Amino acid sequence: MPVKNFVLDARLTPPVLRARLAAGPDGRQRLLAPGVGMFRGAPDPGMLVGPDQAIGALEILGVVHHVLAPVGAGGLVVADEALARGPGPARRAVGFDDILLTLDPSATRGESAANQSGPAARPGVSGAAVLRAPTSGRFYARSGPGKPAFVSVGAVLEPGQTVGLIEVMKTFSRVLYGGDALPSRARVVRVCQADESDVAQGDPLLEVEPVDAADDQNTKPHPA
Amino acid sequence: MSAKTRGTPAVPMFRRLMVANRGEVAVRIARACDLLGITPVFATSTADRDAGYLRGRETVCIGAARSPQSYLNMQAIVQAARQSECTALHPGWGFLSENPVFAALCEAHGVTFIGPPARAMHLMGKKTPAKAAMRAAGLALIPGSDGILDSAEQAREVADRVGYPVLLKAESGGGGRGMRIARGPDEVASAYADAQAEAIAAFGDGRLYLERLIEGGRHVEIQIMADRYGDVVHLGERDCTVQRNHQKLLEESPSPSLSAEEREKTLAAAVRAAASIGYVGAGTMEFLLDQGTLRFMEMNTRLQVEHSVSEVRSGRDLVVEQIRVAAGHPLSFGQADVVLAGHAIECRINAEDPANNFKPAPGKIVRWHSPTGEGVRVDTHVDSGYEVPPHYDSLLCKVITAGATRDEAIGRMITALGELVCEGVPTTVPLHLQILRSPAFRSNHYDTRAIPGI
Repeated sequence: MPVKNFVLDARLTPPVLRARLAAGPDGRQRLLAPGVGMFRGAPDPGMLVGPDQAIGALEILGVVHHVLAPVGAGGLVVADEALARGPGPARRAVGFDDILLTLDPSATRGESAANQSGPAARPGVSGAAVLRAPTSGRFYARSGPGKPAFVSVGAVLEPGQTVGLIEVMKTFSRVLYGGDALPSRARVVRVCQADESDVAQGDPLLEVEPVDAADDQNTKPHPA
Repeated sequence: MSAKTRGTPAVPMFRRLMVANRGEVAVRIARACDLLGITPVFATSTADRDAGYLRGRETVCIGAARSPQSYLNMQAIVQAARQSECTALHPGWGFLSENPVFAALCEAHGVTFIGPPARAMHLMGKKTPAKAAMRAAGLALIPGSDGILDSAEQAREVADRVGYPVLLKAESGGGGRGMRIARGPDEVASAYADAQAEAIAAFGDGRLYLERLIEGGRHVEIQIMADRYGDVVHLGERDCTVQRNHQKLLEESPSPSLSAEEREKTLAAAVRAAASIGYVGAGTMEFLLDQGTLRFMEMNTRLQVEHSVSEVRSGRDLVVEQIRVAAGHPLSFGQADVVLAGHAIECRINAEDPANNFKPAPGKIVRWHSPTGEGVRVDTHVDSGYEVPPHYDSLLCKVITAGATRDEAIGRMITALGELVCEGVPTTVPLHLQILRSPAFRSNHYDTRAIPGI
C-alpha cells in the first residue's frame, strides 16, 4: 500500500457546490456552507433567492467554487446582524455548516410551499409495529453497491431474517428481524431509512404489519 | 554541540498550529502546543464539534461526520489551516498521517507538515524499496525474495531457498489482505494465484513478494527521533506482542525478551538506517524478534499511539520535540542525554464489549474517573458526559504506568485499572486485567500466536 488512506476524490470538490438548507426556529431558512473556505459575493439584503440560484463563491485552496441555493430554498435575503453595522470584509472565512445566508420565506410563501412540505405525508400506520435500530451507526440497506436491498416494501419477514447492516466504528453487524413487540411474521409497510444514512439507537428502521398464514397467499394491500 | 544551541529557541517558533485529528491524539498535540506557547486550532467534524475536549478551544468545522468528508478531506483541512492562519499542521496518527500527497499539499500551501519529508514517507510506504534501504543500512531482514516476484515459478525457487512455510505478500497490501501462506512446495502456485487475485481486487496492484513465515516471534519496535541536520537518536524499544486482530492492546518497554547484546546492536543500526534515508521527525521501526534476532518488518513514519511508553521511560516529550524539529530547531538532546530508566507499560482502553466479541460500543459515558497515583499517566479526551461517536475508532484512553521493575509497573497498572471508572459504555479493562494477572504474561512466556491469559 504505497499511500495509506489515500483520498483525493474529485467529488469532494466539484466546481459547483450546493449550500445546505436548515430551518431556523423563527421560520427563516438558513443556507449553510457546504465546505471550508473563503466566502464572498452573497446577494444583498432584500434580494430574492430561489432554488439553483447562485448565492456567492467559496474559494477553497485558491479554486473558486460557485455556491448554489439548494432545492427547497426560497425567500428574501435578511440582513445579517453582524454584517449590518457597516461594510463587512469583502470575503470571510467560513467552516462547514456555518451560516452563509438567512432567507425569509414568508415573502414567497406560495412559490416555495410545495418544496417545503418536507417528507410526504405518512400513511396512517395505526396498526404498524416498528423495528428499531439496535445501536447507533450507519445503516446499509444493501450488502454492497449495486446489490439488491435486503428488504423492500411488501416483503414478508420472519424472525432471524437480515434486514440491513449497521456499521459502527468500521465494524459491520447484521440487523436481524425479531423482538418481543414485533409479530412473528410481518409484511414491510415502510422502509424508514435510506441506504447509508446515519441512525441513532432506537431510530425506526422498518414499519411492519402482522401477516397471518392465510393472508400470505392473497397479498392484501396494506392500508395506505 | 558547541555550534548548536541545544534547548534554547534560536529559531522562531510557530504561533498557530492546526490539529488535524480528533480524540486522544488531538488532546495530546494541544498539550504540547500549550507547553510551547502555540495556539492550537482544531479541525473537527460535525460529530466532534460539541465534544468536551474542544471546549474553550479554537475550532474549524471541516465537514460531516464520516471521515472521508472530514478527517480524510485533504482540501478542507489545508484550507481550514490557511484561513485560521496556522503555519503548521500536526496530523496525529491514522487518517492522513502517512499520506505523502497530503504532506505535499500542506507544503504547497505554505503550511508546515509536522512529519518526515514526503520523499522519506513515500520510500517507507513501499514495502520492497523500504526493505532494500534498511538492508543497506545493516538491519537484519526476514529471509525472502529480493523485491518483486516475476512468476509463481520464481516464488517456488525463492521458497525452496529460504525454507517453508513462506508468506506471499502484496506490495501494496495492508490490513492482512493480499497475503497467503504456503506450507510446502506444492502449495506455492495456488498461494501465489490467490494472493495476486486478492491484491488486484483490493489494491489494484498484483505485485507480490515473498518472506519466510515466522511463527511465534515477538513484536518489537524502536522509537527514533531525528532533526533536519542529520542528527538521529533512539529512545529505546517497545514490546507490542500482545495484539488482538492486528490491533495492539498492551505495550511495554524494555522488551523482556530481548538480549542486551541484540538490543545494543539493533538500536545502533536503526539510528544509522534512519540517518541513511534522511529521516526527520518521530518514526518507528517495527521488528519481529525471531529466536533472538530482530528482523525489520516496516517503518511507521509518524507518531505512534504507544509513543507515551518511551516518553515515560526517557522523560522526553516527543510531540514537543516533533514541533520544535519541524520549526527548524536541532534536537534538544543528544543520544548521551537519553537515559532510559525503569520499566513502563501502556494499556489501550477501548469502548468495546468483551462479553460480545469485542463489538465496538458507542454511547454516552455517564460517569468517568481517571486513575491517579505514583507512576501513573493517563492520556484521554474523555470526561463524564462524553458521547462516544460511532464513526471513528474506539480508543477511549491510554493508561501508562512506570516502575523500577516490570513487576512494579504491572502492579501499579492493576491498581490503576481497578480505579478507572467508566459507566455507560463497556470497556476492555477486564481483558487487560486478565492479561496482567496471567502467569503467562507475568513470567513472559507468550508470543504473537496468542494473547497471554486468554
